[in-house]
Amino acid sequence: MVKGHQSEFRKRDLLYTGGLWLISLILPDPHLPYRKELIKKRDFLYLGALLLLPLIFPNPHFYYVMVLAGIYAVLSVGLSLFLGYAGQISLGHAAFFGIGAYTTAILTTQYGVTSVGAFGMAAAAATAAAYLIGKPILKLKGYFLALATLGFGEIFLVMVREARGLTGGVSGIFGVPWFSAAGFTFDTSLKQYYLVWGVLIGLVLFAKNLVRSKMGRALLAVAASEDAAASVGINVARVKLGVFVISAAFAGLAGSLFAGVMSTASPDAFGLGLSVLIVMMVIIGGMGTLYGPIFAAIFLTWLMDVLGGYQEYSLPLFGVVFILLLIFFPDGVGTRLNARLIYLISYWGRKRRRERVDR
Amino acid sequence: MTPWVYIPQLLATGITMGAIYALVALGFVTIVRASQILNFAQGEFVMLGGVLTFFFITGAGFSYPVAALVAVISVVIIGFLLHLLVVYPLRKASALIVLMATLGASIVLSNTSALLFGTLPKTLPSFSGEQPLEIGGVLIAPQSLWVLGATFFLLLVLHLLARRTLLGKAMEASSTDPLGADLAGISRNLMVFFAFGVSAGMGSIAGVLVTPLFYTSYSAGTLLGLKGFIAAVLGGWGKNSGAILGGFALGIVESLSVAFIPAGYKDGVAFVILLLILYFRPKGILGSPFIDSRRW
Repeated sequence: MVKGHQSEFRKRDLLYTGGLWLISLILPDPHLPYRKELIKKRDFLYLGALLLLPLIFPNPHFYYVMVLAGIYAVLSVGLSLFLGYAGQISLGHAAFFGIGAYTTAILTTQYGVTSVGAFGMAAAAATAAAYLIGKPILKLKGYFLALATLGFGEIFLVMVREARGLTGGVSGIFGVPWFSAAGFTFDTSLKQYYLVWGVLIGLVLFAKNLVRSKMGRALLAVAASEDAAASVGINVARVKLGVFVISAAFAGLAGSLFAGVMSTASPDAFGLGLSVLIVMMVIIGGMGTLYGPIFAAIFLTWLMDVLGGYQEYSLPLFGVVFILLLIFFPDGVGTRLNARLIYLISYWGRKRRRERVDR
Repeated sequence: MTPWVYIPQLLATGITMGAIYALVALGFVTIVRASQILNFAQGEFVMLGGVLTFFFITGAGFSYPVAALVAVISVVIIGFLLHLLVVYPLRKASALIVLMATLGASIVLSNTSALLFGTLPKTLPSFSGEQPLEIGGVLIAPQSLWVLGATFFLLLVLHLLARRTLLGKAMEASSTDPLGADLAGISRNLMVFFAFGVSAGMGSIAGVLVTPLFYTSYSAGTLLGLKGFIAAVLGGWGKNSGAILGGFALGIVESLSVAFIPAGYKDGVAFVILLLILYFRPKGILGSPFIDSRRW
């Protein structure tokens, strides 16, 4: 290339396009045939409620539980893509959560990486791990897949406990710096609340675009029948791997937030219990929905918080509530209540109209 | 000192542990053959067998054999209740829901046990003395021989039950050809009910046998259950012979691994085996009636 020649391509274009690409993940895709009813009133209702809730309940405990609920919500939205939409079972998502948390903790405490950098690295690490583990095991089906992912989770725990030099062994890593971006440190619960739920809004928008894209449709097809999906030209293995990697990236981001907000990372937090909890959130929230798992995350986090007051009775009670929810709402609390609620509201409306006509 | 010196000793430990894994794996297989359900609470039966025996000896003052018998019977009743309260109401739900429900049951059982009997690890005296026998330079605890003997006796009893009694034949028929058994008037739900009882009984006997050798705490069940499942997959998912073979294979491999890698990684070995077997030969060593080899 001749020196001084004005090239079409400038290096900074990479920066611009990278930013544009990131924004495009969140913004509605102009090429999709959007209809007015896709952005519903309830979206604005949820957003308003989210912004106003901390002002209505101004106490630190509320903030703390909601921050935790937000982190679980990120996890469960990610798993909802894999479990709810693609119909694949994973009992190993706590491991990706843990990978995200440990990546952040190690990078920020030992290598002095900024929080935002570590945030990205956490997603990258979880993505890489998911790719490596998903490539071989995603050909499994049903509870074999569940057990294989569970096995991966247990191996992760064993490795974390044994690699003491890097992860601090059983006691974990303490004193992870607060999450901070552009000189602004999220050091109070209120700031963390807006941080976590802000990240969640971005990720939910991404997930909403994803399920409306070609891949999202492919996911539903794969969940219905892998053979049928393959026969219409969907690359089943690739779609499953793709959604596994994406949901692992969600888990990695949640883990990074967890480390940055709770400022610790210890192996106890990433065990089988957490994996089960996330799966429960998706099931209770309703398979194949995005808002359901978020509400279930809030509900279950509060339930755990309330039951935690009963000390040693909390876990047995929690298990009983689990089973009862599964028996009475096997297709999700939201799904069933929604149908009922819509019926009731429409009934109420019809009644009002009828009365008006009668008068 | 080379690790090879320890091999015979580790082999002896591995075979003992393998017998326990085989019993747990058989519990899984019994239920899965009857109903295609993966019962996650299987390991809790083992834990409850040990913990309840301890409770009946110290708390209720029974003699050892009576306590063991009462413990096994109560665990069988718990197995029946698990079916009636959790699995039966979910008979029309998908496999995932049932799996999660048995996981919930496992949480309830282990934590209720912690609540009622305390979180301290429990141990029982050996059946016949603590003096280890020395056979060819290898020390073997007498309890290990009891474990092996009892396991083989139990397998024999099960075999006879399945082949010689009407109930056993009905269970066998229901698991080989569910539709045919339905047409012959065998209630599938009743068979699943009995399968839960049999599986709980096997688990609790394994618990009574293993508690003198290793400490049993309220949280020990989950890991034992998972390893039993791995053993069942390793041998051939859904085959009784596979479960037994897989149990011994897993026990021996896991025990031998201690000679070559740090002991902390021992629990990871079983899961690495699980991933390898699922990847390279999902139907297990002996082949599985449930897994179509073409589809994998």
